[in-house]
Amino acid sequence: MWNNSVQSRPSSKADARLAAPLPSHSAMPSASEPASSPAPAAPSSATEPARAPSGAAESAIASNLKIAGEISGNSDLYIDGEVRGKVRMAGARVTVGAKGRIHADMEARELVIHGYVEGSLLATESLHLGASSHVLGTVLTPRIRIDDGAFLRGTVETITPGATSKPVAAIPKTPAIVPVVVAVGNEHEEIIP
Amino acid sequence: MRASAAAVAVQPLRPGPATSAASAGNVRISNGLQQFLEMLADVPRARVLDLGSVWQSTISFFVDKGYRISTEDVLRGWKEFLTSEDDRQRAIPSGADSGKLAPQLLMANFLQDALGYPEQNFHGILVWDLLDYFDADLVPPLMERLFQVLHPGGALLALFHSRPVERFHRYRIVDSQTVESLAAPTIAVHAHVFQNREILDLFGKFRSSKTFVGRDQLREALFLR
Repeated sequence: MWNNSVQSRPSSKADARLAAPLPSHSAMPSASEPASSPAPAAPSSATEPARAPSGAAESAIASNLKIAGEISGNSDLYIDGEVRGKVRMAGARVTVGAKGRIHADMEARELVIHGYVEGSLLATESLHLGASSHVLGTVLTPRIRIDDGAFLRGTVETITPGATSKPVAAIPKTPAIVPVVVAVGNEHEEIIP
Repeated sequence: MRASAAAVAVQPLRPGPATSAASAGNVRISNGLQQFLEMLADVPRARVLDLGSVWQSTISFFVDKGYRISTEDVLRGWKEFLTSEDDRQRAIPSGADSGKLAPQLLMANFLQDALGYPEQNFHGILVWDLLDYFDADLVPPLMERLFQVLHPGGALLALFHSRPVERFHRYRIVDSQTVESLAAPTIAVHAHVFQNREILDLFGKFRSSKTFVGRDQLREALFLR
């Protein structure tokens, strides 16, 4: 399935494509995006996803493709289609394009999300949620970058860089609890000068 | 998997309010946030639920502290839930039983999905001003659910406007005592101005409260379970 469904391409072409502005995710408008940008435009080096100098070819799943099952490997991967199952690319960078729709747990060295993802995400180096991203799930990563307008419904937890454990699917039900000592009155109103 | 706060190296923040002309004047000192954080200070790897939209600065703020931060844009989620419910209604053939649900039942279904966290899971919840945007009769079940997912001793911070607001705002944490409000596309109209007594009734199950009123008449209310 994997060999039949993905297209390999030189990383330089992928670089050129990714450098172009990505369209908004049509299925999930980012309603939370501020009307006016609260921060000045960052330099391009800060807004564009960093590219790993792997030199390896990048595979791509085009927007007209649907894959069900497990995807694994070590080359960088660009997904603009629909994937259901698992994505395990432990040593690679995986980018979900604005048209990408993922219903899968994902594991990669670096994850860049511009589309829709539902599942647990493990990025052993970094994770970037673009402005058009719509993510439902648990995020584990040592570094995270979130662009204004991104949608995340889930939990962010940090890990040691390089950790390769599987993502956790849910928040533990029996957390270690340390009681908080409360020392305030029952009602109190204070005017800030 | 071993989690290590010491090893965390969060990406540098985007330019903050100090360098952003667009957001100048929208930064406020927040005594409520300051005390909210003090409540969490002694909790190792505290779990925090943010009911607003996701922001880099807020995520980084908590991640830097080694906390686990969960985000649930509850107002946007509610609107999307209602939209999907409307779509479901329209798909039902005319003449068939529409099965239209009462708002309270819709809210119950929504909460089961959106706030389906284990009980007593969070040590802190940031509600911001979102309660002002729900119909008043839908707020009690929401509050009940928030009470359930908050750990005993945990803190909840909510903001209440003293008068109707024209623009919809989002909030993000700048630092431990500063909050920035950002004008955002309106996804809901301001529905209700809660009076102090109404607020205390809403939080009747909480064991203590503290309220701060700023010069902008935005009330910050800190409640402890």
